[in-house]
Amino acid sequence: MKALRWSYLGAFALASVPSLASADEPFIWAKNRVDEVIVKPVSARERGGSFSRGRPPPRQSRIRITQASESRDTSNRAFVSFAIDVRWGGSEWNKDDVVGCVYRESGKVFVKIGDGYRPAAILLGKDVEPVAGVCVAAPPPARS
Amino acid sequence: MRRWIANLPGRLFLLLMLGGFGLIASASLEYFDFGTLPGFMIEKLPLRFESLWLFSLRAHVASALLTFPLCIVLMTRFLQRRPALHRVLGRITGIAILLVLVPSGAVLALNAKGGALVSAGFLLSGAIVGGFMVRGVLAARRRDLVTHRHAMRHVFAQMSVAVSSRVLMILLDRFGMHPELAYVIALWGPVVASALVVELPTLHRVVVRLLAAPHRRPALSRFEPLKGTPS
Repeated sequence: MKALRWSYLGAFALASVPSLASADEPFIWAKNRVDEVIVKPVSARERGGSFSRGRPPPRQSRIRITQASESRDTSNRAFVSFAIDVRWGGSEWNKDDVVGCVYRESGKVFVKIGDGYRPAAILLGKDVEPVAGVCVAAPPPARS
Repeated sequence: MRRWIANLPGRLFLLLMLGGFGLIASASLEYFDFGTLPGFMIEKLPLRFESLWLFSLRAHVASALLTFPLCIVLMTRFLQRRPALHRVLGRITGIAILLVLVPSGAVLALNAKGGALVSAGFLLSGAIVGGFMVRGVLAARRRDLVTHRHAMRHVFAQMSVAVSSRVLMILLDRFGMHPELAYVIALWGPVVASALVVELPTLHRVVVRLLAAPHRRPALSRFEPLKGTPS
């Protein structure tokens, strides 16, 4: 009977592991920031709908953090890279619809357009120029 | 009464085009907000010649907003019965189409999303518009109204692609089709269909002639040897 009680307790503990894991999901701050700066405002802008030749708004989108640990740029600022995948109707996920990086301290988000990174505000129509040196990891210090 | 019913599809088409024009005009307002980049441009970035592309987009949209309603009005019997007014409005429309709409459309076509196939579709549509506009103007100058009407129907049919293509895109999106494939279908379908619809009477005549051909066949075909002559 005691063994059964322990097995129930064990099962309960195991069942609660996934919820604990999601709460501790790495870079949840980064996902929240990308959601707040890009996904929500862009989808609100697209939801207005228009009779234009523009791409129809995706039905679903998801944010992925594409690196296992933080990187630091040449100014020693910590950032992580992300990608946004989108999906229309029953089709497959379109991976890397938007790629970019988000900075931990400042919360600034940049997106890759061509070869450069521009502030995420460009996705909302703000005419901003590429910013040099962001989202690029500094090379590891040379060993002496 | 019968004539009124016979003209009903044409009138309905003009009304639909007018409604489509209203929707396009309201959606195009963002192109003239010089403080922000239009959403249609953002999804195309990076562009090689950003300023030229944006200038062409604005010129194209502005000329379309002028010429599309003028085309609708010029297709009405009301204006066709008033030759002086028809001529003046026709000249304004023709100049704007040939000098602004078609060239700016060609610049935009070269950067069309969907690649070479979509570029080819836009360029074909532009070539039909430009070619038939020149033909129609020349025909009007020599008072050949049959050719003029036929040419201008082609111009208007291709202009109507702006509406039919957008409607088709919305429908295909509702069916869950991937936007890239939907964009190609929604362009080529209306471009080809519009040209065919204008040529329908001609095609009908050709088919009727072909079907009637065996009955009209002359008794002596030039491929049959004459009797009594060596074959």
